[in-house]
Amino acid sequence: MVILSVCALIFWLFIIPMCMGQLVLNFLPITKRTAGINFLCGYLLSFAVFEVVAIPCMFKIQYGAFAHCVRIFYVLEIILSLIGVILTVRRVRKAIRNGYVPKYKEDFRGGRLKTFFCLTFQGEEKAEPAALISPRTDVRMMRYQYSIESIVFFCVFLAIVAFQLFMAVFMAPFDGDDAYYVVETLLAQQADVMNTILPYTGSSTPLQARHAMAVFTMWEAFIAKVSGVHATIVCHSVLPLVILPLVYIVYLEIGRILLGVKQELLPIFMIIIALFLMFGNTSIYTAETFLMMRTWQGKAMVANFIIPMILWIFLWLFEDCRKPGYLWKEETYGGTRVIRNSSWILLFMVNMAAGIMSSMGIMFGSGLVALFSFMLLVYTRDIKIIPKAALSVIPSIVYLLVYKTI
Amino acid sequence: MYGIFRESLVIFKNYGGNGYLLYLFVAALIYLLIAEKDMRKKLLVAIVPAIILVGFFVPFTRIAYVAVIPDGGDTYYRLLWLLPMGVCIAYAGCKLFAEHKRIGVIVISVLIIFCGSLVYKNQYVSRAENLYHIPQVVIDICDKIKPEEGEPRVRGVFPDELIHFVRQYDTDILMPYGRDTLHHEYYNAVREAYHKPEVINAKELLAATRETKCRYIIMIEGRAIDTDLEDMGLILLDNIGGYNIYEDPKMAN
Repeated sequence: MVILSVCALIFWLFIIPMCMGQLVLNFLPITKRTAGINFLCGYLLSFAVFEVVAIPCMFKIQYGAFAHCVRIFYVLEIILSLIGVILTVRRVRKAIRNGYVPKYKEDFRGGRLKTFFCLTFQGEEKAEPAALISPRTDVRMMRYQYSIESIVFFCVFLAIVAFQLFMAVFMAPFDGDDAYYVVETLLAQQADVMNTILPYTGSSTPLQARHAMAVFTMWEAFIAKVSGVHATIVCHSVLPLVILPLVYIVYLEIGRILLGVKQELLPIFMIIIALFLMFGNTSIYTAETFLMMRTWQGKAMVANFIIPMILWIFLWLFEDCRKPGYLWKEETYGGTRVIRNSSWILLFMVNMAAGIMSSMGIMFGSGLVALFSFMLLVYTRDIKIIPKAALSVIPSIVYLLVYKTI
Repeated sequence: MYGIFRESLVIFKNYGGNGYLLYLFVAALIYLLIAEKDMRKKLLVAIVPAIILVGFFVPFTRIAYVAVIPDGGDTYYRLLWLLPMGVCIAYAGCKLFAEHKRIGVIVISVLIIFCGSLVYKNQYVSRAENLYHIPQVVIDICDKIKPEEGEPRVRGVFPDELIHFVRQYDTDILMPYGRDTLHHEYYNAVREAYHKPEVINAKELLAATRETKCRYIIMIEGRAIDTDLEDMGLILLDNIGGYNIYEDPKMAN
């Protein structure tokens, strides 16, 4: 039973997001097609789809709302994962048909798997010495080859993260809000209700818009339901193992862009971030305290996942706006419109995800998008940014409208 | 207006705790404002955070925040979440020590360790007793009183220190009052009879628990009470972890 539950958790928390992420990854520029970004995109898509499923279920279905929500979301996740996998397989096969030649011999064990990996995650391609010599290679499209020293620093960073994950399971932070949020999740799992029972006492309650609209608790309940693991264990002991790495992936991508050509500093950047998150508990209010002590709560996700995601996407937008044309074309397959605007599409999804985390997420998310977009507008003087930014905050506007009408 | 500014200043100080990490952040911000040559990066990790930081102290921001966000007065500190403190410090550190990586990583790490506070040393963090991350005694008590499959849900009154955890373990156990009553000091007849008096009046307690259909009363061993609950007709089911579990037979069906 335990083994089955662990397998189910691995399936729903790692395999499904990786497959769903492929769906989004196919629309990203080559340099962004990495395993980490794939994982991020999978979760973003999962949160976004869950919002669309959960909120109508919650408002329209009176009895057993969560059971319906689970059924619909279950099917959608599987379908989206399959579409993601099919699109990737087609892309890989097309690349092989078009004469893709790997830069190594495939005759070792797992050689073909490596080729499949390289073609799936094109952004992971390292700048090999042979490629560096070739006049046709643009090394800016490739990953940095780290020195031994940098690899040692990366190991230090990974050791800090491993320590944090260990502590997340073996240390128990107390937070009073769990008596509401975690019980909401458990109620969904045990009683199939969506916010219609008062968590504190167990009596019936009308939907309270402020809490009900933030359906992240229900997303957690979905994971608990399909894995058969008690929702409190999922929240307190399982989710930190996923959310902390997810947050670090965002910071890794932020660091990649910020450090530019000095990529050898990336592990140092990550060590500082990891220490800052661990030692940022200077008061109960800091984002770092929320991340480490309330990882499973929507508020912590807003502060540590949504806001850094927005920063990363804007760093990416700013980076792209001065990119040389030839590199831009190569990276986006000749400038396909969807790929060129993929960062805005991702921003749209981040705003959707912000809604499921917390009512504050939509305010902070859209506010920050507005501020960054204004800066981008001032910097590029490209008027097209206005409609793109406006479109990206549509989920927040819809959310606010629903919030105001109930 | 000056009063609102002072309030924001207090919130900022409370957010920073000892304040050293905030100083480190402000130093990093100033360094990036001066040293960063790439305007794109400067805009995102120096100018925008500086605008947000200044905006935080502007009274109009606080007025607007409180008007728009429910409980805005209590949650104004969350505006500081928009500041990418970790990113600014890490980037400024990398930039400053780009040519001396080893020294740089040691210096910045030591600064963060000494300026910050380790989350695992927080008074609210303790060793987990189980994967639920709730006290084992709560699980043992709940296992004793929880209804079997198909049986109706039960209601029990618990001491304040257990209130937060009971329903995190089993939602089939109801309670006459929960965390909100504790937190906001709402009036609740059961709590008035159970928690407030120095010596519990057993008659009053039973009247209140029966009114709210409480089948179980969980009471810490040695709690002062004028009449033993067993003498009042309740059954002492067990003593778990220093807590007596009483069942009220009148509420059993």
